[in-house]
Amino acid sequence: MSFFGFDPTAPQQSRPNQHQQQQQPLDFEDTYKGYGDYEPEDEDFLNDETFGNNVELGNNFDFGHSGQQQQPMHAMPQQGQPGHRSYVAAAASGTVQQSHMDVAGDLKPMESLWNPNAAPAPVSAPPAHAQPAEPRVLSMEEIERNQRQMQMQPQGYPPMQGYPMGPPPPHGNFMPPPGQNYPMMPQQGQGQPQQFQQMHPMFNQQGYMVPYPGNGPPPPTHRGPPQGHAQGPNQGPPQGPPQGPPQGPPQGPSPVQQQIPQQQHVPQHVPQQMPVQPSQVPGPAPVTAPAAPTGASAAIPQMARSSSSLSQSSNERETFNNHHQRQPHQRQPRNREPLTPEEQKRLEVRHAKVEKILKHSGLMTPRDKDFITRYQLSQIVTEDPYNEDFYFQVYKIIQRGGVVGESNKGLIARAYLEHSGHRLGGRYKRADIALQRMQSQVEKAVTVAKERPLRKQEKEQSRENSNNNGASSTGSVATTQGTDGRDGVLGKISSSLNSKAPRRQLQIPTSNKTLLNSLLVNDDHATASKPTNPDALMEVTESLGNVELNQKSRVRRRSSYAFTSVDQSSVLSRSGGRKFVLSLIETVYEEVLELEANLRSGKPIDNNQLWEALHINDEMYEVCPFISMLSFDKGVKIMPRIFNFLDKEQKLKLLQTFFSELSHLNIIIISSYKTNPEPTESQLKQIDVFQTVFLKIIVSFLSSSSNFIEIMGLLLHLIKNNNVSFISTSKIGLNLITVLISRAALIRQDTNRSNLLSSPEISTWNEIYDKLFTALESKLAAVFPPKEYIQKVGVVSQNGNPNNTTSQYYDQAYIWQFLASLALSGKLNHQRIIIDEVRDQIFGTINEAEQLKEQAKAPMDSNDDSMYRREKLYQDLNLFLNVMGLVSRDGEISELK
Amino acid sequence: MSDTPLDLWKLNLDESIYVKLRGARSLVGTLQAFDSHCNMVLSDCVETIYSLNSEGMLQNEERKSEMLFVRGDSVTLITTPDEE
Repeated sequence: MSFFGFDPTAPQQSRPNQHQQQQQPLDFEDTYKGYGDYEPEDEDFLNDETFGNNVELGNNFDFGHSGQQQQPMHAMPQQGQPGHRSYVAAAASGTVQQSHMDVAGDLKPMESLWNPNAAPAPVSAPPAHAQPAEPRVLSMEEIERNQRQMQMQPQGYPPMQGYPMGPPPPHGNFMPPPGQNYPMMPQQGQGQPQQFQQMHPMFNQQGYMVPYPGNGPPPPTHRGPPQGHAQGPNQGPPQGPPQGPPQGPPQGPSPVQQQIPQQQHVPQHVPQQMPVQPSQVPGPAPVTAPAAPTGASAAIPQMARSSSSLSQSSNERETFNNHHQRQPHQRQPRNREPLTPEEQKRLEVRHAKVEKILKHSGLMTPRDKDFITRYQLSQIVTEDPYNEDFYFQVYKIIQRGGVVGESNKGLIARAYLEHSGHRLGGRYKRADIALQRMQSQVEKAVTVAKERPLRKQEKEQSRENSNNNGASSTGSVATTQGTDGRDGVLGKISSSLNSKAPRRQLQIPTSNKTLLNSLLVNDDHATASKPTNPDALMEVTESLGNVELNQKSRVRRRSSYAFTSVDQSSVLSRSGGRKFVLSLIETVYEEVLELEANLRSGKPIDNNQLWEALHINDEMYEVCPFISMLSFDKGVKIMPRIFNFLDKEQKLKLLQTFFSELSHLNIIIISSYKTNPEPTESQLKQIDVFQTVFLKIIVSFLSSSSNFIEIMGLLLHLIKNNNVSFISTSKIGLNLITVLISRAALIRQDTNRSNLLSSPEISTWNEIYDKLFTALESKLAAVFPPKEYIQKVGVVSQNGNPNNTTSQYYDQAYIWQFLASLALSGKLNHQRIIIDEVRDQIFGTINEAEQLKEQAKAPMDSNDDSMYRREKLYQDLNLFLNVMGLVSRDGEISELK
Repeated sequence: MSDTPLDLWKLNLDESIYVKLRGARSLVGTLQAFDSHCNMVLSDCVETIYSLNSEGMLQNEERKSEMLFVRGDSVTLITTPDEE
């Protein structure tokens, strides 16, 4: 801190240089920023002379006395005239520092001031000059006191604090004269001439230039940074009277300003006084009138004080004696004493305030402030101030919730929740915004990532294909991949990237094994040739590409292509004959009746016999007898009762078989317009029965107890072993497919929220869907039965219901339901294809609806009926269109709002 | 189990059957129930009564009934209906 300490012994010439340098406005770059790494300057070699060569370099600047502030606060009240005292202290602050600096910097120019020899110093500068030659060493005690004083200062003089500097020895000397003047003439216009008249000689003597004659307190500040300039004008004490005495404590801010001049002229004795003050009895010691600022009178209070202080060293006393001439400045504030307690209190408060304000004032140049302000402003500008200000919000709460000692953790926690901590975005429901932002970012990242490794994926793909051709028995991706790369050695690397699963994931085969084995492996039809494959799902999905079927399923397939299943008797014969199937049904009935009897009587239920009677796993017949059972109404009707006694795995197995051999199902054949263009009444009834009974079972099973993988497995069975496009021509078949994919879509949506679906599941689903879609593609229009069929069915059912003559029309809702669920699960390109293919049907339906509207206008009996049918048509059509965000009304298709 | 004629008959429960009766009548209906006396209940039943008209020409008359009880002593034949 001896930054500005002067070596009084240094040659005089060096000082002017130094001085002039510092008079130039300081630049931020030169002061703070460039600290330590400036280029050597011409006169750097003078630094030692200037600062002393044994000065310790460091940055332990004590700009604001921040750490030591408390002391003055409790010290003051003891004084009795705290406000008053503190002003003095403030006035002294600069000097205290100066003296302190001197001590630290081992320059003791000021000693001349309290040196008895220096007594005449105020009057004449030259003697003072002589003094530094014989510096007096301060005792430790003194130093400590000085330091304490510093703490007590109310920081009245910012420039001094900001740039503490040991005043050059000459200051001490020439200060006193201006000092006397200062209080009397604050920096108002008229005052200045006087000051400078007096000061100039001094400066000249010292070789100093007075750079700013207009500013009040040049001497101390002229070496200081530009703050001195900035504050100079403010420092002008507004209290007109040049005599200064009126500087009563109650005058508010003015004391601070007055302190500034005071500091300047009372450089030395104040420090010594200060330590005394705490123990002093304030009393009416300062007897001197404000109007008598002359040295002699001023000395009195000082004397009184010093004598009353027991702790004061003799040195200090000497100093007081020597310098009593300069005392008036200090005394002036005291002239108001005594103060009432409340006044003092008020003063205290005010003083504290002022102190607070001035604590760090002058620390920064205006440029610094500009810089900081700019920086802060740039930080403030944000698109989403609320979110970015989160810490402020919390801080505010901490501040606000300040019941002392009471924990405001609760408040903070609440703030977190309200502002952003809550999953739903807190009170302000802002989660959506943040979430959307995040999701879009993730999506972007994913698309970029997707594009990049495209080549790699292609390679993988071809590898997999070759794998399927050659290694259908192993299906091991790892073995083949191991040769040309380590990718996927530990498991298949998922190829699907999306915002839900932004990272490529390793699909570890063992994790799927148990799950998927139960799904497929024990079904011999599905993975007939490789029931021991450890990775069933992978195997199955890969084999989707080049559908490999064992001998048996190939036979079946051919048969279903050739529509040999149309002949029910042939189907029956291939599953053991009609008699066999009928007898099976009777057995099943008996078993079910027995089980139901057991259930009623509370006996244990063993469904093994029932299970055997169903012949689900019966490999002896070309067509599973179970499927043939369903050809009979009674076989269908017993199903709900059978299901009551099956456990989940058995049900699943049953349905797997069912979907695998759907093509053989009589009901499909008779409900398809291709194989049965002219359904009879009884057949329609059969279809109806099947739909109400068996479809219901399937739906309830799927929605209650099945999981996503099971549904995928069922769909896979359906796709692999059947001619999907044929099945889709039958009402029942289409309904079954609809049930499966819509259920899968529902689960997918459900689990999207809780994120239960693993990415392998999703990618498998996508593959299965692709297969399904490929099978249906270009044949989608075929799901619509031809007009003749519709009419026929209409007529037949009309015949069947003679009572209901008018309103029996072929209900196409199931077709639109199917298309809707297909589109729902599909991606945009799938939806596009669907629309392309069924465009004619869409417009056909709209036309029909509009025609019905026309009919409705005509006064006919079926007026209401036409309107109803029109509504129905639009309803069904919109079921599908809504999935794609469209809606059709009054003959037009528009976007869904 | 399918040892006795009645067991075979049983297989056709809930199936459509053709029953020939005394008095030149025949029935086609869904078998709902039967017993060892050949009493049976048929549903959605069509009864065909054959007769000769005054010119000696065969004519038939059909009667439909939703549910029908057939007393077993009039039954002469039971079989599955002809496929149409």
